[in-house]
Amino acid sequence: MAASCSAFPFLTQSEFEGACQDLADRCTSAQHTDWSAIRLLTKPDGTSLRITKRVDVPSPLEAPALDLEESQEDEDPEALVRAKPQPSLQIDYDILLSPTYQVPVLYFGLRWHNHGPLGLDEVYQYVVPEQYRRQLKSVGVMGGISMGYHPDSGAPAFFVHPCNTADAMANIADAQSVTPGSYLLIWLGLVGHCVNLHVPRELFA
Amino acid sequence: MENRVSLGSIQKAVWDGRLPLEIVLASSESRTFDKTDPYLWHYPVGLLFDLYAGVDPASKTAARDNESPGDGSSLPWRLIVHFSDWPPDLVRLDADGMVMNDAFINSVKEADFLRNGTAKGIMSLSKEDSSGLWNAVQEVDLLSFQRISNILLPQLSQPFRNVPIRVFLPLLPDAESSSLKVVQTLLPPLIPASSMQSSQMLTSRNGSTLQPQTVGTVLHTLLPNLFPSRRTPVLAKPVLHGAVVPMSAPVEEVVRSSAYGDGWAYLVVRMMG
Repeated sequence: MAASCSAFPFLTQSEFEGACQDLADRCTSAQHTDWSAIRLLTKPDGTSLRITKRVDVPSPLEAPALDLEESQEDEDPEALVRAKPQPSLQIDYDILLSPTYQVPVLYFGLRWHNHGPLGLDEVYQYVVPEQYRRQLKSVGVMGGISMGYHPDSGAPAFFVHPCNTADAMANIADAQSVTPGSYLLIWLGLVGHCVNLHVPRELFA
Repeated sequence: MENRVSLGSIQKAVWDGRLPLEIVLASSESRTFDKTDPYLWHYPVGLLFDLYAGVDPASKTAARDNESPGDGSSLPWRLIVHFSDWPPDLVRLDADGMVMNDAFINSVKEADFLRNGTAKGIMSLSKEDSSGLWNAVQEVDLLSFQRISNILLPQLSQPFRNVPIRVFLPLLPDAESSSLKVVQTLLPPLIPASSMQSSQMLTSRNGSTLQPQTVGTVLHTLLPNLFPSRRTPVLAKPVLHGAVVPMSAPVEEVVRSSAYGDGWAYLVVRMMG
């Protein structure tokens, strides 16, 4: 049984890293989750966890023009008529420990096949489930999701405001029994749903 | 209250500071000379100047040695404006300035959280005061700014929980990526006294001896290789608002007097020589 969090409702760097490692290991052994990849990124100034997910977007977003070369290679007259693939959106979620708030913070970026990064409108359209949209848009200057710079890569990214995370965790989790691993799962449950990141049920099988 | 007067006068001097800018439109000709990085708009212009302008920061010795006024040849600072080809590594701005406003408020929240240990202060700030703070910064209106920031700042008698400071490492001249290296950690304003120093000692409630956390102790803790001494800059020096900051300055006073509008002091590390 792992030790409980030493600074609850906050996480220390080493607790955070342990929890990320734990989650990555569990996902790897569970295999069939709807996450297409989970990767632990270790850097001298901190660890982060990257979860990649592909979402089939039900149009009507303009289907990107296929790269000419690629489509020619694909052309095989003998092939059966294939269903036109659904355009899929790649979402890269990065979980980092905020040096200010001492809680995990969720950054994410969208990539559309052959397209550059997408904007906040697309986030609400394709990432935020409908039931959270109105509530999420109503807080702060421009909603609960902000645009900023990824602390590691410096690239533009979206992030979910972390400033109330510690209070929310204190309300939900039991300070005596919560371990770093369960902290991260509860946090994912709290923060992830609004941006379509759900804890895979396979982890509990 | 002498302390208060001097903190206030430093703050006024910082707010009175002006940066002469020359803003030119990018033409296809000037584009070829435009090798600079796109500037990150979410940082205060003073910080960007300290980071990129490459001007030797003001210090007492520099002022004495170098009194010819015509020597500040890199001013005005020349910026090139582009109206097309927005670089992909820059967050897009909107015409109403909401993205900028949002980034500012997020930064204010972070500073407040560090100072108090909770987000309650900023969460309870009224909508009027919250937008008033941003307006005061945009209009360089120190009086309105002070009225609102005094709601957020702990009283002088009550030390900060942690001091909102970020340290920016020197940029490598030929680095491929323009991404900045920023260091931040939890910095309490008072730290256990080192046996060497006897001045400015304080005794905490539980009897242990404390001393103020200074710019020097912060830099030595975060970057021991660049700052081998807590008291003397040897290899590098800290720069804020275009001036070298004394290593002995207590960080809470630095923030109370010289923070940017979002409540943070952004120290830029410049190599000596």
